[in-house]
Formats: sequence, structure tokens, C-alpha cells
Amino acid sequence: MATALGVSPNRMEVMKLKKRLGLAQRGHDLLKEKMDALVIEFLEVFRKIQDFRTKALKQLSTAHRALTNCFAVMGTLETTQAARETKRELQIEISTRYLMGISIPAVEFGGAQRNALTRGYSLHTTSSVLDEAAMEFERALGLLVELAEAEAVALAIIRELEKAKRRVNALEYILIPKLKEALKFILMRLDEMERENFTRLKRIKAILEERR
Amino acid sequence: MNADRLIKLELARLNMHLPEKRISLKEALSSAKPQVRTREGGVHSFKRRELELLAELLPEADWEKLQLPIFIALEPKLGRGAARVSGEAEARVAGRLLGKEATGELRIYRPEVALLRRKLSTTTQYLFVW
Repeated sequence: MATALGVSPNRMEVMKLKKRLGLAQRGHDLLKEKMDALVIEFLEVFRKIQDFRTKALKQLSTAHRALTNCFAVMGTLETTQAARETKRELQIEISTRYLMGISIPAVEFGGAQRNALTRGYSLHTTSSVLDEAAMEFERALGLLVELAEAEAVALAIIRELEKAKRRVNALEYILIPKLKEALKFILMRLDEMERENFTRLKRIKAILEERR
Repeated sequence: MNADRLIKLELARLNMHLPEKRISLKEALSSAKPQVRTREGGVHSFKRRELELLAELLPEADWEKLQLPIFIALEPKLGRGAARVSGEAEARVAGRLLGKEATGELRIYRPEVALLRRKLSTTTQYLFVW
């Protein structure tokens, strides 16, 4: 083991190995802390995703019901025409924020809700049911943007968590046990050398006494 | 690259997400784009609604004292899952959010860290101490 690690049994090597073990242990503890923090973050994001998903699905269902109602009152062609006339620009500000070295998107969304005058379709040729349907879809869009942000964050955290887990495992199951074993081997070898030396000295002393 | 160098690199990378320089709450509130530059060259932005929440929690005279982002220090010697919020204004704000008394330094534990991060996701950051 000691030779496999490239160490020779001497006191200097013991000091070096102890230093390396300390570093590995410190790295392991900190990476474990990082993993714990990432898990906290992931659980938080997961809770958000569940919440946004439920709300978005509910809102989309309401919006589709309103759209069906709109088709029934205004007719499919008129509704489709009004949809084509609607302005499609939205104000979304996407910046980054850093979470333990991971760059994740931070979305600032003022909301998609507009009033009937700013949507872009003609008020003369459309009914108020179209306004209702548009309003419901705008609400749903806001929730979908938040859901998308949360999902992107979750994905980034999972990737980092995977990396951190691999490093913690490498330290915990490979490097630290190897270093401990090498240290144990050297200490045992040094003890053995000390015992050999002691026996040799005793033997020399006995021989010298015999000669006298 | 040997294992020791990899560990050292990993330890050095742990705090690369921290800002080069923190900004005060007053500065952040008056800025059109409240953000700080990170050590690795990126930009970390603060959400305005979090800044407004912090402004509600502190009297206006203390806005200058509160440095952002607030650091949640994770230190293995504190024990697994324990963390520390240092700084008078920072500890006071965190204490108010968590319903705890704080003077100068606040010791918090995993569920409280989660709660704090939930309420202040962009205005707090983890700091690894060894």
C-alpha cells in the first residue's frame, strides 16, 4: 500500500501524509456542507415547481374554458383573427444570479397582464368574452414564466449536486481510506523498525558482554 | 493533476460566487439595476422585492450599514447543518425574519437556513469557511 502511494516509511512521510489527510478531510467536510446547502436549495426549488405547476395547470384549464366560451360566442374565425392582431411583445428581464458557483437565471417579470386597449385587437369587432379569455391566458403566462425559471434552477442544481456527490464519494471512499491506510502502514513499519532496532541493540549488548 | 491539487482547487472554487465588493442596501435601492460583480467575473443581481422587504425590516438610518449580499457562513467546526450570519444589521434582519433575537452574530440551523433562503434568495449567499 505504502509503495503503491509512492511513500517510504519514515517520519517525514508521516508528517506529509498527516497534512494530506487533513486537507482531504477538510475538503470532504466542506464539500459535504456544499452538498447539504445544494439539497436545501433543491428542495426549496422543488416545492416552488410543484406550487407553480399546480397553479399554472389550474390557470390554463380556466383559460381554455374561457377560450372555448369565446369560440362559441364569437366564432372560431373571428377569434383566430383577433389572436393574430394581438401584440406579442412581453417585457422580461433575464439576468444571472450565482448560487455556490452555479450560474442560474433570475427572471424579473412584471406580468403579462394588459388591458383591452393595449392588446392590439379591434374592440369594435370583438366581444368581452375575448377580453376574459385573453386575461386568463396572460395570467397563465405569468405562472409559466415563473415555472420555467424554477425548472432551469432545479436542473442547474441537480447537475452541480451530481458533481459534488462524485467528489465527496471519491474523497470518502477512495482518497481518505487510502491515506489512512498508508499512514497506518508507515506507523506500523516505524514501530516494527524500532522494535528491530531495540532487539538488535540488546543482541549487540549481549555479544559484547559475552566477549568481555 | 494530483489529488491534493484538485482538492485545493475545489476549496478555492467554493467561494468564487461571492462578490468582489458588497454594496449597501441604500446603494442597491437607489440603483436601477441592483447587482454586484462576482469574483469569477459574473454578475449577481438582486430582486427588487427582496430589497423592499429588507427596507421594511430595517429603519432607514441602518440601510447604509446592511451590506448585500448577506453571508450565510457554513463552517464545519460549527457542526453539520449549522450556519452563522455575521454583522450587526445583517444579523438583525435575519433574526427578524426568523423570529430570533440577534446581537452582532446569529447562529442558525438547517431549517432556518432554508427559511432564510426562501425569503431572501438573491440577497443572501453561502460563504464557506475553513
